[in-house]
Amino acid sequence: MQQKGWSIFFGVVLLGEFLLFAVAPFVKGWWLPDNVSSFGGEVDYLYYVILGFTGFFFVLTEVLLVWAMYRFAWLPNTKSQYIEGNHRLELLWTIVPAGILLFIAFAQINAWEKIKYQARMPEPDLVLGVTARQWDWSMRYADEAKPENFRAWAEIPAIDDIYLPDELHCWKGGNVKIYLKTQDVLHSLFLPQLRLKQDALPGKTIPVWFQATEANVRFNEETGKCDLSDNKEWEIACAELCGGGHYRMRGLLYVHESKEDYLKWFKHAQAEARSRQPEKKPTPVVAKD
Amino acid sequence: MSVSHSHPAGTHAHHELGFLRKYIFSEDHKIIGIQFLFSGIIFLLIGGILALLVRLQIGFPQGTLPHIGRWFPASWGERMSPDFYAMIFSMHATIMIFFVIIPLLTGAFGNFCIPLMIGARDMAFPKLNMMSYWFMWPAFAIILSSFFVEGGAAGSGWTSYPLLASATMSAGEGFQSPASPHSGHGQICWLAALVFVGISSMMGSVNYLTTIINLRAPGMTLFRMPLTVWAMFITAILQAMALPVLTVALILQLLDKTINTTFFLPPGGMAFGNWHTGPGGGQTLLWQHLFWFYSHPAVYIMILPAMGMVSDVIATFARKHIFGYKPMVLAIAGIAGLGFIVWGHHMFQSGMDPRLGTGFMIATIMIALPSAVKTFNWLGTIWGGNIQYTTAMLNALAFVAMFVIGGLSGIFMAATPVDVYIHDTYFIVAHLHYVLFMSSIFGIFSGIYYWFPKMFGRLMNEKWGKVHFAMTFLFSNCTFFPMHIIGVAGHPRRYYDSTLYHYLDKVQPLNQFMTISAILLGLGQIIFLINFLWSLFRGAKAGANPWHSNTLEWTAPSPPPHGNFEETPIVRRGPYEYGNPDIEEDYLPQASPQPSGVPAPAH
Repeated sequence: MQQKGWSIFFGVVLLGEFLLFAVAPFVKGWWLPDNVSSFGGEVDYLYYVILGFTGFFFVLTEVLLVWAMYRFAWLPNTKSQYIEGNHRLELLWTIVPAGILLFIAFAQINAWEKIKYQARMPEPDLVLGVTARQWDWSMRYADEAKPENFRAWAEIPAIDDIYLPDELHCWKGGNVKIYLKTQDVLHSLFLPQLRLKQDALPGKTIPVWFQATEANVRFNEETGKCDLSDNKEWEIACAELCGGGHYRMRGLLYVHESKEDYLKWFKHAQAEARSRQPEKKPTPVVAKD
Repeated sequence: MSVSHSHPAGTHAHHELGFLRKYIFSEDHKIIGIQFLFSGIIFLLIGGILALLVRLQIGFPQGTLPHIGRWFPASWGERMSPDFYAMIFSMHATIMIFFVIIPLLTGAFGNFCIPLMIGARDMAFPKLNMMSYWFMWPAFAIILSSFFVEGGAAGSGWTSYPLLASATMSAGEGFQSPASPHSGHGQICWLAALVFVGISSMMGSVNYLTTIINLRAPGMTLFRMPLTVWAMFITAILQAMALPVLTVALILQLLDKTINTTFFLPPGGMAFGNWHTGPGGGQTLLWQHLFWFYSHPAVYIMILPAMGMVSDVIATFARKHIFGYKPMVLAIAGIAGLGFIVWGHHMFQSGMDPRLGTGFMIATIMIALPSAVKTFNWLGTIWGGNIQYTTAMLNALAFVAMFVIGGLSGIFMAATPVDVYIHDTYFIVAHLHYVLFMSSIFGIFSGIYYWFPKMFGRLMNEKWGKVHFAMTFLFSNCTFFPMHIIGVAGHPRRYYDSTLYHYLDKVQPLNQFMTISAILLGLGQIIFLINFLWSLFRGAKAGANPWHSNTLEWTAPSPPPHGNFEETPIVRRGPYEYGNPDIEEDYLPQASPQPSGVPAPAH
């Protein structure tokens, strides 16, 4: 019994781990946050596909292991079976996993291209410049949602741009294109609810796109602020170590109900910015290559 | 140390060496292996204490460490500062990878096992072997002293990405970096120490390759080598091919930091705020490519030897022939081969061309295949066996159980779209600890319990060994498994205080649970240390072959004398003849004469 006890010990620990994964989706805050992006659904779907396959193989191999540990525990005066291998079994457990892995690999390609390939990014409705620095995000908004020559605008700021720290505004259903830069070290723009992450590289401007499918704010003309609906607070984080303040590059994502609501907010923010003393703007980063 | 003083008369003429030549500046592969083992265990302790400090901060970010906290450099009263936190997690990883796992697996077990298991008297180049250990000492000295230099030890992560790691003041303004207080002198020490570690590993790998190719005993064909030796052989090839790249990258960053070159500093110069990054012409991504070109194969350097060792332990204690010996060898080779074309999966979100990501993804996902083959073959090996639950075997079985988790969780990160979300969250921290702690360290423990009698002539205490195993297995799972969950919830890694983020409110109790488990895990290791030291002097005497094992090292006395074998063994069969129904015993050592009436093996 003492010999077989070890298989039970292994079994209990592994069962606990299985149960944690089974329970976590039903505990608020222990699973994927709500998805609010157009491609987030595909990311989540692929996550569940992989979770299904890996979960199956986890259960299969661990059950076999624990069972073998139980069944073949030491008995005195017994000899093990004398087997050197089995060619058919080897073929089976090579070809089946190979097929599954190839399927998993090729299933990813379309979503990956959709999220990251520049050629496949949709025509934007809103263009933003986001510059990371130690330790906040500087968001640059153009006078129009989409400047006429936005690729040039990405590199050369215009006189009537407004800058806001740590607040990313857009509207539901609008295709957003961010030109991501960093002013100092590496950073990584991470928007958990949008299933979006992209490192910012010194000396480079990296285009990033998303489309939010849900709104979380409405502009309140009386207070001049954006009211959060249903406590839907969507945070922005930095996902690449950038020094001591890495943990506090917290920003907020504001998705307005409509373009009109966004524009109302923008006019207000612009007026507010103009009434303030003009601040010294960070020198733009101009990639030379 | 209870190393035997008896020197049986062999053909190899040698005279009694003084203490210094015998135990300190030794050319004997066994002593060098044991030296690597001792220094590895000491650094495991240091790295472990750093890990507990990291966990304390994550579990209780607002907490204070009464009295102790005040001694921390740049402490915030009795709290650790974010800069200090960055330093300790960077040094935890650096020490565990470069000063614990690689030296223990290749340095300690590679040195000790290879000549004994292939029937050689020693390594091909004993002096080079000695050098490979003594090149670790400058690294030890530099990395430990870096904690005390101005600004403290390196704090840019163990990956040391520029510019955080490599931005410098303009020429003549000293080495203090404007990017982070820990990327000045500390970073220079880090780079210098790793250059020494790299050279040490390089000398080791050249030696292992030569030894395995040239010094095998008569009859020890390549396909009669134990899987430990195969794994060490392929690991040595990986090291020999990948290490030069790391060494070059380290030197380039060292030049960037000291003489203001700009290999990794991008064009733009003064455009980076008020930081001087030189006139510029380099690329930050170049570092990532060079670094991961080594450090991804390094992941396999840190697991393949453990896989080999565990295979031998499992066959021995399941009293069974390894299932599918040749597929196992091919799988190791497959992992190593594919290991060279997958480094880009660390860089999916780095700004590298996403089209490259697609290619790296397919190669990366396919590397799960040889890993799956190995797992199924281990299961095949214990299936139908007669399993002896020794401490070594329990650790080996834990390796298999945990490697399954670490292997499967890797597929999530390999899948590029899922990686967009999961990259740099705690999910990767969970994954890497399931591979490097739960697999490699269980493999190392298994190897220590298994070869301890051969190293020191005494057995480790089995009862306390099992208590240690039970605590380690339970608490390491409690420490690392919930990291998957908080990773799925989006908890980024390397955060000093995640309670700033409301979407992470609910995972903080898990963080505290993991921290408490980690402390218990740490306490469990005290049992190991006491058992190890006690057994060195007081353990039960082990005979030459306490486990009734087949491989050649068990035909030599325990501990083996200088020169290892009284006479060169002649190998007559493969290493896994367990449970052969034609003979009375359930094992048949590789060098034993062929029993009468039993047909000789075909290979």
